[in-house]
Amino acid sequence: MSGPLLDVTSLGVRFDTPAGPLQAVRSLDFAVAPGEVLGVVGESGSGKSQAMLALLGLLAANGRASGRALFEGQDLLALDEARLNRVRGSRIAMIFQDPMTSLNPYLAIGAQMALVLRAHRGLRGREAAREAGAMLESVGIPDAGRRLRQYPHELSGGMRQRVMIATALLCRPSLLIADEPTTALDVTVQAQILELMQTLRARFGTAIILITHDLAVVAGLADRLLVMQQGECREAGSPEEIFYAPRERYTRALLAAVPRLDRAGPPAPPLRHAGAAPLLQVRGLRVGYPVLAEGLFGRKRLLRAVEDLSFELAPGEVLGVVGESGCGKSTLGRAVLQLVPASAGSVSFLGRDLGQLERAALDAMRRDLQVVFQDPLASLDPRMTVRDIVAEPLETFEPGMAEAERSNQVAEMLSRVGLDPSHMNRYPHQFSGGQCQRVAIARALITRPKLIVCDEAVSALDVSVRAQILRLLLELRRLLDLSLIFIGHDLAVIRQVSQRVMVMYLGRVMEMAPAGELFGQPRHPYTRALLAAAPVPDPRLERSRPRVGLAGEVPSPLAPPDGCVFRTRCPHAREICAAQVPVLARHGAAEVACHRVAEIQESALESAS
Amino acid sequence: MPEGVNRRAALLPVLLCCLLAGCGERTAVPSASAGPVGGPGGQERAQQQLLRKGNGAEPESLDPHRTESVAASNIERDLFEGLVLETEDGELVPGAAASWEVSADGLSYRFHMRPDARWSNGDRLTARDFEYSLRRSCDPATLNGYSSILYPILNAEAVVEGRLPPTALGVQALDDATLEIHLSGPTPYFLGLLTHSSAYPVHRPSVERYGEKFARPGNLVSNGAYRLEEWVIQSHIRLLRNRYYRDDAHTSIDEVWYYPIENDDAEVNRYRADELDMTEGVPFRQVRWLREQLLGELRIAPYLGTYYFGFNNTRPPFRDNLPLRLALSMAVDRDILTQRVMGTGEQPAWGFVPPVVNYSGQRPAWADWTQEQRNAEARRLYHEAGYSEQHPLEVELLYNTDQNHKRIAGALAAMWKQTLGVRTKLLNQEWKVFIENRKRRVITQVFRSGWIGDYNDAYTFLQLLHSANGQNDPGYRNPAYDALLDQAAATADPAERRALLEAAERQLLADQPLIPLYFYASKRLVKPWVGGYRPNLMDHHHSKDLYILRH
Amino acid sequence: MLRFTIQRLLTGIPTLLVLIAAAFFLIRAAPGGPFDRERDLPPEIEANLRQAYHLDEPLVRQFGRYLGNLARGDFGPSLQYRDFSVTELIRAGFPVSLRIGALAMLLALLAGVSAGAWAALRQNAASDHLVMAAAMTGISIPNFVMAPLLVLVVAVGLGWLPAGGYGGGAWRHLVLPVITLALPQVAYLARLTRASMIEVLSSPYIRTARAQGLSPGRILLQHALRPALLPVVSYLGPAIAALITGSVVIEQIFGLPGIGRFFVTGALNRDYTLVMGVVVFYGTLILLCNFLVDLVYGLLDPRIRHLP
Repeated sequence: MSGPLLDVTSLGVRFDTPAGPLQAVRSLDFAVAPGEVLGVVGESGSGKSQAMLALLGLLAANGRASGRALFEGQDLLALDEARLNRVRGSRIAMIFQDPMTSLNPYLAIGAQMALVLRAHRGLRGREAAREAGAMLESVGIPDAGRRLRQYPHELSGGMRQRVMIATALLCRPSLLIADEPTTALDVTVQAQILELMQTLRARFGTAIILITHDLAVVAGLADRLLVMQQGECREAGSPEEIFYAPRERYTRALLAAVPRLDRAGPPAPPLRHAGAAPLLQVRGLRVGYPVLAEGLFGRKRLLRAVEDLSFELAPGEVLGVVGESGCGKSTLGRAVLQLVPASAGSVSFLGRDLGQLERAALDAMRRDLQVVFQDPLASLDPRMTVRDIVAEPLETFEPGMAEAERSNQVAEMLSRVGLDPSHMNRYPHQFSGGQCQRVAIARALITRPKLIVCDEAVSALDVSVRAQILRLLLELRRLLDLSLIFIGHDLAVIRQVSQRVMVMYLGRVMEMAPAGELFGQPRHPYTRALLAAAPVPDPRLERSRPRVGLAGEVPSPLAPPDGCVFRTRCPHAREICAAQVPVLARHGAAEVACHRVAEIQESALESAS
Repeated sequence: MPEGVNRRAALLPVLLCCLLAGCGERTAVPSASAGPVGGPGGQERAQQQLLRKGNGAEPESLDPHRTESVAASNIERDLFEGLVLETEDGELVPGAAASWEVSADGLSYRFHMRPDARWSNGDRLTARDFEYSLRRSCDPATLNGYSSILYPILNAEAVVEGRLPPTALGVQALDDATLEIHLSGPTPYFLGLLTHSSAYPVHRPSVERYGEKFARPGNLVSNGAYRLEEWVIQSHIRLLRNRYYRDDAHTSIDEVWYYPIENDDAEVNRYRADELDMTEGVPFRQVRWLREQLLGELRIAPYLGTYYFGFNNTRPPFRDNLPLRLALSMAVDRDILTQRVMGTGEQPAWGFVPPVVNYSGQRPAWADWTQEQRNAEARRLYHEAGYSEQHPLEVELLYNTDQNHKRIAGALAAMWKQTLGVRTKLLNQEWKVFIENRKRRVITQVFRSGWIGDYNDAYTFLQLLHSANGQNDPGYRNPAYDALLDQAAATADPAERRALLEAAERQLLADQPLIPLYFYASKRLVKPWVGGYRPNLMDHHHSKDLYILRH
Repeated sequence: MLRFTIQRLLTGIPTLLVLIAAAFFLIRAAPGGPFDRERDLPPEIEANLRQAYHLDEPLVRQFGRYLGNLARGDFGPSLQYRDFSVTELIRAGFPVSLRIGALAMLLALLAGVSAGAWAALRQNAASDHLVMAAAMTGISIPNFVMAPLLVLVVAVGLGWLPAGGYGGGAWRHLVLPVITLALPQVAYLARLTRASMIEVLSSPYIRTARAQGLSPGRILLQHALRPALLPVVSYLGPAIAALITGSVVIEQIFGLPGIGRFFVTGALNRDYTLVMGVVVFYGTLILLCNFLVDLVYGLLDPRIRHLP
């Protein structure tokens, strides 16, 4: 070993802002050995991304880096733009979180790759195309010649990230910096990308710095970990050291906040009103969006977002709805709230069919039906004070209430969700993301609703904040006797909050079962694949776990497969799966929509014994 | 242009700044670098005899029988020549005709053609050409909007109205050299009418060959001092000297360019940039400044027109209300109006007829009072009409959108307010809207108006207020006045006719159905090197009489 | 793509018909007529004229007649310029307007886009503020103020260029009108380009390009220019309309023999056929230009191109 590939000492990053200098990274030291994977973990604002951007001179205009970063004999921080450009993209490559926005949408894939080849290797034309095509094949993109002519929007999310990786590796860099490379991807695709990085690292010997907020992602992949908080390194060490014997309080807190898919959450409280009439009853619900079709006089096509879906929700129950993007879970939530019209079926709330109600009656019902969305800042009116935002439903539903009483109620609700009521005259932007989500929850709760739909309500939040919000929701549920429909893509979060879980795929329910049953003994091949793909924050478990890789990605909901919609990705598919749509049938405690559930169950038992 | 008001308002400060910045100095002495104009003797002609004239609007046509605009008639004056020609002094001299005789009853005119008269293509110009042309001019199929000017000719009205064929017109070529015209009544100003474009000759073979397009370059054959060389619509019209013109030997200018420039600010700019030798008009706001800066280049002369504000005599409050009409008229200080408010060279008008030939303009007695006396009398009449400070007249003053009219209307309103306490509401309308309203005499109370004479005679003004005239916008109707005019029209004796017309104007002023304000003045900028320019009452100029001095 | 083209062209027809109908009835609804003037025509002559131009017929019939003639490409005779047909007038005026307009558009694009891009690259530097202040001034000064100002200084004061006229299209005569017409568009395009360029330059894919070690010049040309020009392209449609309206004033002030001047004098004179002709001609032109702009946009933005 000739020493580290990259040796960073006392790296600092400072931003000059109108409010004064902001120290984003403070005296950070770390090194990366050739071929090594360094996981850099931290919550938002920890400086993990800025530190790496600083290495490549990619800070915003008002950013300044200090310190030393020795890479292959030169100090990266001392290089001028021209010299740096000979390192960037060539010796060190970087890929980013969102491949849709990180690839130029106006240039064909091939053209973007060719620019890199031309800049660093002087390759042009056919030569460049051959090289780019070869690299696409090695990141698992077949039919590379055709792909080169395609534009980013014509590719799926996973494909785009593969293209990003392929572009990054074109010049065989000795270091790849990957900034949250899988965060925007579905869990099965995330597994594929992580697998790919693993493979490529083995093949090209590229060292990788993997920046992530998700401890589970790096658990199996990293050789060493760096935990950052507020611009400083809190703890560094091997995954085993960090996960099993964290020395720092912050690391311990972080680990504790991570919901564990492999462990049941705190046992969900039993249903208090077991056997009572259902609060919500959904029967044969279908929702379709018309989509403009091709052709001069082409008919509009129907995007079937939700197909033939039925379930009930008992008072006080928490139903988790999980699935990958495009599975219709958000549409389901909106249809329940009557925010989108159902094309068939019924939604009955407290015994009344919401779809049949007059406008006024429906509006009156809405005080019992509230919603919390994913992006708290975007769903709160930036021009209203927090007090007005929270009080708004009261003004609608109890117009006669006195102003003082209204303010009292707002104050009470704010303190309930853990906010200081004295801040009620501030505006949303003066609060953090977690606080904004508390405001949104307060607004949803102010009318004392019976049901709240949480649509990815914690997905945008940092791990520790997410844990707090989840705790808050569950506590409020208990105190206020709420029912929740909790929509999410993160299996671990779903497991933590739900009593019952519904797994959706392309608008259909694949499996619905009590949480313990579903996570303990998944029956549907899709459920099993989801669970297998989700990483677990446990290095040993991750490394030893057999990964049942699910090939491909979710097909377009505009053209779902015939028969069982999952059959195109299902390892167990047979002819019958293409011929017939499987119905949701009871298997033990679960309901499963699969023709082959019995055989799969048997073989699973056999292989286990 | 419709945006004129705002544009002008916005422009003024900019203009001023720019002028102050010294742009004016250079043009104040335009020929400083080129030595004295006209050489040491002052009369040396330039090598290149080329005249560039601003001409207002784009002419609608150059067919003299199908044009009504001043722009078209300016050019046609160079292209064509009638039987009679009017000099700059208002004198009628032989044009295409060498001489003429008038019968004793004043009803028959016999013209003798010049034997050497030719068209611009060399064809001979004969009496038959005039016979054909006058018939064509009156033929309803020609759609001549101005054919009524030929109504004094026997049967002309019936021909225009289609009741008689054009051949019935009282015009007859006895032979190639002699033309006889018969009138329906004695018309002392008839010869003057023959200078009008409706009486110009057109070249029959070209008309018959090219039809509507005969007045285009390449097609148009004319008999004036110039011929049409080029017409780039909206850009320019270029005339070249007609070598076949009878008096070509005395023509100096070889080439005339007419530029249509509606915007008078733009026109002045092009003049100051030496792109024009003469303008068609002058923006009234710049008159004072130009008079000071362009030493003698601003040429102002009385013009055959009266600017007045009419009362609507068909409706209250002005119908049958002489005291009120008189009061409002007397309360207007015309000296202040012309000198202070306008200051652009116009003469105050107390009567309706401007200083035409063979006529004495009439004035009411109070025209010679001081304004204080007039104001006092105005107040008395105002009270007599039943108005007072406590019970003031409320009146609407209508004018077409224009800065000049606006200023004058504002001044009138202020004078009425000050002297009588009248409450005036100023109302402006776009031109076509305005004339329609004025004609309908329904919503008008007091309205702006003006009349430009068609020929140099009092009758062209006085006939306007004949009760049978469709353009009698004030709706004035006095049988005594009508009778005086009818009598004058039938009178051949000049002195008698003049007395009748003067009596008619006195009647008109006694009834005061309108407020005469001023007699128009023609204003244009003429470069010092343009020789032979003589301002005149009709504001008619022939390029053939002009010449370019060395400069 | 072909279908898209045909579809767009077909949808233009009803738009045009509505435009024609609106213009036809509106101009006739305006008080006053083509033969109203200070000095009245004798009633018989006016009747003759009205008959000659079919103005004595019921409006609906006139409209039908107009559409019929239009379908044969005949705009009818001008009521004001009596020796000319509207087609002749438009044919005479359009080359002038096109020349001025096209040059102004070219100037606006070249100057506006480069000034905007330049300012964007120097965001918040003094030069950026200077360019943007100049642009703001350019937008705020209407061309009917700018034109006489330029004439007074450049033509009357300095005597460098003619104060007006077309001069058969000589460049000296085109400079001032083109600059005046282009100026507000230069200013607007500069602001537009700057804003859009700044947005593009801060987008993640530019960061990617920098991370790939591409030189700033290459990033600007290969990655940033095309997306930054998209708002510019979509503004071209309105810009063409703005140039056409602007040319009405410019042609008046500089005495250029273009269509815009016909429009003004036509409207003032109630020259129905001339006004209609200009409206229909320019309406068609703007529809076509918008369509072309859409096509160009599609070429620049692959996401649009591949849409149905």
